[in-house]
Amino acid sequence: MKPPEFEPIVGRYLTVPILGDPCRVYVEEAGSGIPLVCLHTAGADSRQFRHLLCDAAVTSRYRVIAFDMPWHGKSYPPAGWQKSEYKLTTERYVETIRAFCSAMGLVRPVVMGCSIGGRIVLQLAHAHGGEFRALIGLESADYQQPWYDTSWLHRGDVHGGEVCAALVSGLIAPQSPSEYRHETLWQYMQGGPGIFKGDLYFYRVDSDLRGKLTGIDTKRCPLYLLTGEYDFSCTAADTLRTATAIPGAKVTLMKEVGHFPMSENPAQFRNYLLPVLEEIFKAAA
Amino acid sequence: MTEFNGGGQQARVAAERFRQAIESTFAGDTDLLRRGAFVDTCCLIEIGAEQLVLTIRKGRPTVAARVPPLVSWEFAIRAGADAWLALWQPVPEPGWHDVFALAKRGAMRIEGSLQPFMANLQYFKDLVTLPRPGGPQ
Repeated sequence: MKPPEFEPIVGRYLTVPILGDPCRVYVEEAGSGIPLVCLHTAGADSRQFRHLLCDAAVTSRYRVIAFDMPWHGKSYPPAGWQKSEYKLTTERYVETIRAFCSAMGLVRPVVMGCSIGGRIVLQLAHAHGGEFRALIGLESADYQQPWYDTSWLHRGDVHGGEVCAALVSGLIAPQSPSEYRHETLWQYMQGGPGIFKGDLYFYRVDSDLRGKLTGIDTKRCPLYLLTGEYDFSCTAADTLRTATAIPGAKVTLMKEVGHFPMSENPAQFRNYLLPVLEEIFKAAA
Repeated sequence: MTEFNGGGQQARVAAERFRQAIESTFAGDTDLLRRGAFVDTCCLIEIGAEQLVLTIRKGRPTVAARVPPLVSWEFAIRAGADAWLALWQPVPEPGWHDVFALAKRGAMRIEGSLQPFMANLQYFKDLVTLPRPGGPQ
């Protein structure tokens, strides 16, 4: 009899107190070593990191951890969610990450976030840099010019999942494998109603960090910013402008990659990520 | 008249290429027809100075031989021939690879009553990308 073909990923539920609410948070992890906490994009979930969680070149030295934020994936919203509109704020996002790391008992983890996750790592570097070993922003910038009206994302006469996926489909590089392009879009098709829009409240309204990223000490907490050339939402120019204002920030521009590097083209992404992880590992040794 | 209405011969060739894609390539795309089963609308595609009126019934598009006088349409997608041709490259350049990328850089305008467009967004993105060799991704 053929043995079961399990992936190395283990998924569990963790109770995390966030802004006074006990939240049931779904978390997946694999590997051992330096904790590497991964933050998914707006309106998606931790499945975006499934390739990284199965990459032995990473998990041999890093404990890779990815969780679904409340309202996303397999993490329910906190009790009473039905009484108010979901809006992610900078305060809620920062506290979600810090509370998660605390509940997991992580000591100076590396945090890597994409898109809204790339934005929030800038805020973490600014306000809480001492708590992290290093920060990695994927498709990360202090501000991006909006390119559509988010009211289309949640209304009765437009299917939310389909429009969310169709909007972000253009952010995927044409070179990305079809299988992973459509897997990435499937995540967007499965988001809860209004959740992508609520995440973008943080992105569009509550986190313009231009001119606010003072005091980031990249010697104490190195900051890496990696952006795909096909990302027209967070452009290479957005990332480069952001890095210019942060002494010591290191930028990598990724060829043939769009807004979802870890999910849309994992093979191409690891070519750029592995040297970053190598540098962080050597610094910790 | 819009800021994209130049193009001359290039626009005429691009418009013909779009018309042929709708009339021939679409016919073989049963997946697009399946996904557009509830699309019923009329839209204007502007390629430089060239205009094409698309009438779509149950997901099946037809292009009017010429733009009728006083024609009505629900929404319009307007761009110069250079932007359309860039979008239709086999592997488009970054920033020229999606209708919203073009709109963000000011090379395309999507306007009018957009509910039918947004309610069937991937269908329309794929429809206007049919002239690309290999078709939509």
